[in-house]
Amino acid sequence: MSILEVSNLSIRFGGLLAVDDFNLSLERNELVAVIGPNGAGKTTIFNMLTGIYRPTTGTITLEGENMVGLKPYQFAQRGITRTFQNIRLFSNASVADNVKMAATMHTTDNLAQCLLRTPKMVRNERALDEKVMRLLERLNMADKANLLAKNLPYGDQRRLEIARALMTDPKILLLDEPVAGMITTELEEMAQLVKQIREDFDVSIIMIEHHMNFVMPIADRIKVLDFGKTIAEGTPEVVQKDPKVIEAYLGGAYQNVDA
Amino acid sequence: MKKCLLLLKKFGPLLGSILFYALIMFLRREKILNGYYMQVLMFAGVNVMMTVSLNLVNGFTGQFCIGHAGFMSLGAYGSAVITTLLFKGTEFAAAAPIAVFLLGLLCGGIAAALVGVLIGVPSLKLKGDYLAIVTLAFGEIVRALLRLIQPIGGARGMIGIPNYANFGWIMFFVVLTLWLVRNLIYSPFGRAFIAIRDNEIAADAMGINTTRYKILSFCIAAFIAGVAGGLYAHVLSFIQPDSFSFTKSSDFLVYLYAGGSGSLTGSVIGAVLLTILPEMLRFLADWRLVLYALILVCVMLYRSEGLCGGKEVPFLRIKRESLYQEPLFGRRRASSEHEEGGQA
Repeated sequence: MSILEVSNLSIRFGGLLAVDDFNLSLERNELVAVIGPNGAGKTTIFNMLTGIYRPTTGTITLEGENMVGLKPYQFAQRGITRTFQNIRLFSNASVADNVKMAATMHTTDNLAQCLLRTPKMVRNERALDEKVMRLLERLNMADKANLLAKNLPYGDQRRLEIARALMTDPKILLLDEPVAGMITTELEEMAQLVKQIREDFDVSIIMIEHHMNFVMPIADRIKVLDFGKTIAEGTPEVVQKDPKVIEAYLGGAYQNVDA
Repeated sequence: MKKCLLLLKKFGPLLGSILFYALIMFLRREKILNGYYMQVLMFAGVNVMMTVSLNLVNGFTGQFCIGHAGFMSLGAYGSAVITTLLFKGTEFAAAAPIAVFLLGLLCGGIAAALVGVLIGVPSLKLKGDYLAIVTLAFGEIVRALLRLIQPIGGARGMIGIPNYANFGWIMFFVVLTLWLVRNLIYSPFGRAFIAIRDNEIAADAMGINTTRYKILSFCIAAFIAGVAGGLYAHVLSFIQPDSFSFTKSSDFLVYLYAGGSGSLTGSVIGAVLLTILPEMLRFLADWRLVLYALILVCVMLYRSEGLCGGKEVPFLRIKRESLYQEPLFGRRRASSEHEEGGQA
């Protein structure tokens, strides 16, 4: 059974049908990429899948539970977390604190315990510290734990966004252009990281990305959007040979490139 | 040795506060500090509490409250109603004045906290300047309403409030407030507040119920401000609605930003220095306020993040790497931060 079921998802802003009849059935541990030209509605889909926008029609079902109408934090609490295209870190807090903030919803300490800093609360904090450090180590960021997020280099900021999202224990991770603005070497590192996350954390991933060289080798399936409509869908090999896709997005030259 | 240091770290601040209290009491007994100085010190303590609570909303949660005196007045009147209208002259008050006093403070705090929830609600829809206008209006509404209620003296105010609060009580509540707020800031709650301040959309996307935490922040801050107001009433033994005007709110804002928003140390230093400074400048007569304002302008020009912006003394933070900072006006010098962070 698929973990996430999205059917007939559409959203209308005034006269503009930004996303028209988007369907997706996401399997456990699957990696689906959504590609398409600028303005195709990719991020809008993410915004609907995380509760920022409420779809005009359509349903989103996570493990049998209807998600439409829930607030963004409820989406996160039920297991859908995202990263942002334009990085949104807690910039004045340290790297470790950024990750810890994402664990807020897992906290079992109530207000009184926190105010009095009871031994139990201190123990929980220590356990959280360790958990955060373990996560940062896996993402090769342990040495930067005490830097302020805003002082990180760009590539690390993207990494931290992923670390933070993983801290919420997601079932589904949405990556919004994880390699936007990165150079080739960073691109390879990120591809490695995404593969590793998928293996280690048992998450399904939906990814928006423009870099074909990045998407093709790691995605199980690709959905191609143009003007809000899904124009093609399938494995990377199928999609990149689809004439509609080539016309709308990849451009004629891509036919000759081996992925 | 290490154990000694740990113990010192744990109980040092408490010991320090007791020593400070003993010193002040000694100076008082030796008649070096007269009653007037003592009152200035007590007001400084009340102002520390007010500034710390304002810091929770403005500095840590990133909301903008400029009607904080409103909460203070609710606390002042709330507690004064209990101690003065209900219990004054009763046998119970004669037998256990402390119980009455504490009950009054508690009620004052609760009254303010309940209204804090109310004022937290618009903060869900409004941000920045717009929220500021609402809180400003709130402060004025409270003042206007208090002027209308005759049983508590209307515009004339309340007199004859028993002066239960002495320097010891003020010290006690200041230390307690600092301890509790520090614990709160370095807990999941504090982290949620700071997440909301730094990026509300991301906080929401990370599963933080921003609505709940924003209201909670207002509510806790209002409670502290209410208790501070209660103490104020029982120091001065006279309160009137006009003592809690916008001027008062703006005083707290000045203490907060001059001291450094987002820093508890800053709130303490800002409030204490700027309460005592105008008194020390009294020899300048009319030029006093000019100089006071000039000093403020200089602080803002040369240390725009406030005196202690981005800094915290060891016992007001829990871990080195948990140093949260947020300069509100202007930019910090970013150069030194890389080395600083890398050491730990």
